Amino acid sequence: MGLCLQPSLCNESSMNRLLPRRDFLAGATSGFGSLALATMLREEANADSAIKVLHHPAKAKRVVQLFMGGAASHLDLWDHKPMLEQHHGEKSDFGEHVEAFQNGLGPWMKSPFRFSPCGESGKMLSEVVAPLGDCVDDMTFIHNLVGKTGVHSQATYLQATGFQRPGFPGMGSWVSYALGSINENLPTFVVLPDHRGFASNGPKNWGSAFLPASSQGTAIFPQRDNPIEDLTPQADFATAASDRAGLELLSRLNGQFQKQRPDDSRLEARVRSYELAAKMQLSAPEALDISGEPAHIMKMYGLDRAGAKYPDTINAPEEAEYFGRKCLIARRFLERGVRFVQIWSGNDNSFPRRNWDSHEDIERDHGPLARGMAVGTAALLKDLKQSGMLDDTVVLWTTEFGRMPSTQGSKGRDHNPYVFTNWLCGGGVRGGLTHGESDQWGYKPLDRTNPTQVYDIHATILHLMGIDHKQLTVRHDGIDRRLTDVHGHVIKEIIA
Amino acid sequence: MLQGTGAFPSSQQSCKACLSMRQSWWVILSLFFSLAPSSVLLANDEFIGTIAPILERHCLSCHNNQDRKGDFSLQTAKAATADGYIEAGDAVASHLIEVITPEDGKAQMPKNADALSPDQVASIRTWINHGAVWPPDFQLQEPRVSDFNWWSYQPIVRPPLPPLKNQWIRTPIDLFVLNKLNEKGLAPSMEADRRTLIRRVTYDLTGLPPSPQQVEDFVADPDPQAYERLVDRLLASSHYGERWARHWLDVVKYADTCGYDKDKLRPNAWPYRDYVIRSLNEDKPYRRFVQEQIAGDVLFPGEPDGILGLGFIAAGPWDFIGHVEVPETKIDGKVARNLDRDDMVSGTLNTFCSVTIQCARCHNHKFDPITQDDYYGLQSIFAAVDRAERPYDLDPKVEKQRQDLQVAVADQQKRLKAVQQQIEAAGGEKLTKLQEKIESLEAKVGFQKTAEFGYHSGIVQGGDVQKWVEVDLGEPVEASQIVLHACHDEFGGIGAGFGFPVRFQVTIVNDANETSVIHDSSKSDVQNPGLEPFVIDFEQRPIQRVRVAVSKLAHRKNDYIFALGELRVLDDKGTNWAQGKAVSSLDSIEAPVRWARKNLTDGQWPHYRDPQAAAALRPANRELEEWKARIETPQRVAERESATKQLAAARSKLASLAKGKMIYAAATHFSPQGNFHPTEGKLRPVHVLHRGEIQQPRGLASPAMLPLAKNLPAQINDNSNEGDRRAALANWLTDERHPLVWRSIVNRIWQYHFGRGIVATPNDFGRMGATPTHPELLDWLAVEFRDGGDWLEPQSLKALHRLMVTSGVYRQSSAGADEKLRVDGSNQYLWRMPRRRLEAEEIRDSILQVSGVMNTEMGGPGYYLFQLERTAHSPHYEYHKFDPNDADSHRRSIYRFIVRSQPDPWMTTLDCADSSQSTPKRNETLTSLQALSLLNSRFNLVMAEKFAARLAKQATGTEQQVRLASTLVLQREPDDRELQTLIDYAHKHGMKNLCRFLFNLSEFVYLD
Repeated sequence: MGLCLQPSLCNESSMNRLLPRRDFLAGATSGFGSLALATMLREEANADSAIKVLHHPAKAKRVVQLFMGGAASHLDLWDHKPMLEQHHGEKSDFGEHVEAFQNGLGPWMKSPFRFSPCGESGKMLSEVVAPLGDCVDDMTFIHNLVGKTGVHSQATYLQATGFQRPGFPGMGSWVSYALGSINENLPTFVVLPDHRGFASNGPKNWGSAFLPASSQGTAIFPQRDNPIEDLTPQADFATAASDRAGLELLSRLNGQFQKQRPDDSRLEARVRSYELAAKMQLSAPEALDISGEPAHIMKMYGLDRAGAKYPDTINAPEEAEYFGRKCLIARRFLERGVRFVQIWSGNDNSFPRRNWDSHEDIERDHGPLARGMAVGTAALLKDLKQSGMLDDTVVLWTTEFGRMPSTQGSKGRDHNPYVFTNWLCGGGVRGGLTHGESDQWGYKPLDRTNPTQVYDIHATILHLMGIDHKQLTVRHDGIDRRLTDVHGHVIKEIIA
Repeated sequence: MLQGTGAFPSSQQSCKACLSMRQSWWVILSLFFSLAPSSVLLANDEFIGTIAPILERHCLSCHNNQDRKGDFSLQTAKAATADGYIEAGDAVASHLIEVITPEDGKAQMPKNADALSPDQVASIRTWINHGAVWPPDFQLQEPRVSDFNWWSYQPIVRPPLPPLKNQWIRTPIDLFVLNKLNEKGLAPSMEADRRTLIRRVTYDLTGLPPSPQQVEDFVADPDPQAYERLVDRLLASSHYGERWARHWLDVVKYADTCGYDKDKLRPNAWPYRDYVIRSLNEDKPYRRFVQEQIAGDVLFPGEPDGILGLGFIAAGPWDFIGHVEVPETKIDGKVARNLDRDDMVSGTLNTFCSVTIQCARCHNHKFDPITQDDYYGLQSIFAAVDRAERPYDLDPKVEKQRQDLQVAVADQQKRLKAVQQQIEAAGGEKLTKLQEKIESLEAKVGFQKTAEFGYHSGIVQGGDVQKWVEVDLGEPVEASQIVLHACHDEFGGIGAGFGFPVRFQVTIVNDANETSVIHDSSKSDVQNPGLEPFVIDFEQRPIQRVRVAVSKLAHRKNDYIFALGELRVLDDKGTNWAQGKAVSSLDSIEAPVRWARKNLTDGQWPHYRDPQAAAALRPANRELEEWKARIETPQRVAERESATKQLAAARSKLASLAKGKMIYAAATHFSPQGNFHPTEGKLRPVHVLHRGEIQQPRGLASPAMLPLAKNLPAQINDNSNEGDRRAALANWLTDERHPLVWRSIVNRIWQYHFGRGIVATPNDFGRMGATPTHPELLDWLAVEFRDGGDWLEPQSLKALHRLMVTSGVYRQSSAGADEKLRVDGSNQYLWRMPRRRLEAEEIRDSILQVSGVMNTEMGGPGYYLFQLERTAHSPHYEYHKFDPNDADSHRRSIYRFIVRSQPDPWMTTLDCADSSQSTPKRNETLTSLQALSLLNSRFNLVMAEKFAARLAKQATGTEQQVRLASTLVLQREPDDRELQTLIDYAHKHGMKNLCRFLFNLSEFVYLD
């Protein structure tokens, strides 16, 4: 059918030409509502075809984004620095004036964790992420990411939405907007926040901003009694029978209202939205129900301690259980056609520490957080690989910025927006590769003139999904907005 | 299909704009070269028309004569051809071609941006091969649009009314609309029935449904003016202001929290929300409404609304970390303040002028005639303004005192600054050298410090104040030494010895509860020990408590404090008995981790890594102290103390003045918080920032408005003060010659009534925005609204609403018609009234109203729809823990407390505006999540129960209850078949379930 797949082309006039009898949903800018409609219609038309060719054939159908709130240290997890071991405790010398976020320009500090070579590629990994040692030959590390700010909120926005300020859609929203759902009975974009609460900016990191609300992330809290708000009625008077009959009643009365106004497609879409809602009520709990997972899978994800009690302080088994549960649920959602899953580790930046913002003590916070994260992440990668899904699922590990190679206090590290690490895995990304290095201290990129930026990561992921990041645009307040602003290059070197 | 450029003129348009700008150049050059061979002319044409715009757009921002990135400038022919980048006649040998030719889609240049298109590269290659002709003296310039030839910049002239006659015509609006319909071969629709009309106009003007009685009365009213009377009744209702304030607050980004990290509460934002509601209900003249929001405090001194209106400037997001935790001297602090002013500038220009000014922060506007200089000129109007709480509702006498005291504060600050400058000047090079020497010695010695700095007293304005801190050892201990360790804090450049007292005594209490002085430095000043221990030895004796009693505090920047890193009590064996023991004090700044009483005995203090090497520091430190004593002469110290004290006195009087109620608004005087200090009117220097980057400041910006028209003065005197600048802006915004302001507001009002603006992009009247569908109507409305006339009172929004909703256009049916749909499917010419879905607030308020629980109390602090937890650091807004039975929340949605970073999920799903950005028009989407919200949210479930209870109270029997429910929700009786269906359902599944599903009817959420 004559559907408009290029969002920036979907202004009202072109849509009207294509679909003359539609009265389009009003939108903030020309073309919005029509797009929401187009998305819904596309879902109808393409419910059975998972990969849609938007700009070029895609290598990946799905994305998982692992986001470490508070800024996880590259130096203590992924980016091994022998120089810090040699010069530990010596006065740090950066060779230039450094403006630290707080005052973390003490002596050089080696990682409190041991590093050892892993996989055939011999990639050096920290002991706290040891479970990922089995996966390194499928992963590509990018050690020369640079940020723009050492302020948590702005840095989180930058990595999540491509802009330092509020008001822009997250990457998952852009992908949902562009490609729509694979399975209309589930949300397109699912977010699994940290069990303690939200990281900087909260839900604004996955908001749809100026894109249609349908592209926003749906937050799911597996640990709550009611993991998805409003999915089912929590009232004694609501029963399966009352709801079945109620939906029939709505279908009849709303259908009648719509038939009297045949030129208004919104009314038709609304009738359909209730049918979809009913389907989602069945599909979502099924996806969240891990009771049928075999024991070895539960163990792999760190979920073999049912009913365990945990201390108040941050600890590895508890991290593993919460993060692992999110990873397992992510796999189940991906299997069922969710397009984009975002998993968070880390709450806000307050005390006692409950995120990666280790100003005081790397070992105390990074130890348990990383060990827990690594169990779930390794399980997810292995599980996706054994089912073949890793081939068309791209996994991105990211954070706000890095941490300094010098000490803050005696055991902590200050913010380092000048260099940090991302890694990607699966979905057409080459394995066993390191692309871009940081300097000998892990302070800035080795090649300062050619760093990698978040725009490049976003452009690359969109590319893998069959989207040209320069062509996926939406007009908002006079500017054709895109995820990568006016920047970004696809990192061809890391694509298989 | 895949290339977006066909639909929108983006890049092509920009080149066109550049061209038009350069046409004058071209003409001059053509004349100049008129005697030259035609090939030269052609070559010049090629450069000016094709090559220069590419280089200006993509290269010049780095490769200009000033920046010379990579040691290369393209600004002039001479610079461009100097280094082999361009070899005339030989593209292959030209390095420029090498760096701009993409490999695998990525080129070396332009850096960090999209590669040039193959066509652009080919053009440059051809140009070089043709000899790289560059007209002499032709300099590249940052591209800018200078063409004001665009509809919205033209003066507004009252257009004549189209001479049409037709029964359908009720107002001049209808003349313009009918004229356009005639042009397009369309005809208007019939008038809608009365039930549809009352439903439409009641929601439109008040955001609430009409009551069954109101519907019945109106439908039966024989008066031909019944509709006009209905409109008058609705406009007189206070619900009108509640509904229309919401539209305004969408545009200005109003919320009750700051947004960004931590998302702290703004407990006093709501007076601005109430101000907007009240201003609309009072039908405040629009000119006055605008002026109050920009400079009400300056233009209308002594009037509360003059301050309340300033909530506008402060309505948007604010970065707590960037202002409070990061000092203004750091890059992140500067970035935060720059972005904060950006929000003020863009908020003002988007809202009142429909100009996308924010595009000019990093470069000249690409489509509209706005330069970066213009943009920073506007920023400098807000140079001294912050967002903070300030009092309103003041006694004029108190206000006068406040102003006098503010002057006194400023005077004493000047005095203090003068003496400090004297001291600095007297210190001269020697002081700097000594400080540098100590710093480098310290760096060589190296020191260690932990995150726990120590104990820190309260801050005071004079040094001669008594303070004490005490350690209780719990039981008597035989000790022979007490050691004090100073703190280290970079604050104010102080470093080692931070806060160490100048005069003090150490007293002990023994096992018999007797107090004695063990060390006395209260008669003369002590030399600051830096990071070396301050050791007090004595003969062994029993000690139970140790107190450091200070009589002269340490000087900080402009105030005085007492801080101590560690206090140790040692016995002969060197065991420290104070570690971990209880600490009390006169006062304390408890700001863990750094500052806390318990840090005094935590066993951690800053110390030199190599104490022996540290010995080298001693003479240097002594020399510094001696030199300081020489430059800090008694007269100067006395002058400083006197100024400091008088400053403190003025500030304290200021603080003790009756506060009035507080509002979060634009402010220059407020209580400081961390690094966030009031400017007290002092203008921050605002520089034009190259590429918008704080680290690339160019010249100082001059305060100015946009040069929109010759007869509309835009300059402000560079020496003008803070208030004058905002007043100038307010006057400019309300000048009758302003081409944008009057069009902007009538267009907004039109959009809210008719679903789409006459200009479909209400925040953008520039070249990237839409053009008016009815330009004459827009101008007629703008003039009639601005000046008044036969149809409108000047500046009256209520009159404007009345004119619009009593028009024939507004009263049309929304029914479709195939032949009209074929001509104008999107109804841009208004041959019918558009159907619309209710907005999130309308749905919620209707549900409350229909369920019989609505509390119509107006104003006051916002009610919570969440449970608020952990407010000390980052407040948690727990929506899932909220109980919708909470009667405090049964008020109109405009009064809810709006959390910027975590908006209400139910409202968000229904397309409520996002307060992080200006929302001139809401999306209207349809998703299955909306269906789930309306079916299953706890709010809907609770309200269904309340609704059922109301029905049971007011009607007997299922049939009567169903009839009542229908008239409440749909404003009509059900037909027989519907009635039977509904009764059947209610019998089987209960009235609560029926009520729940009634809230999900399309007929409820859509307005015909």
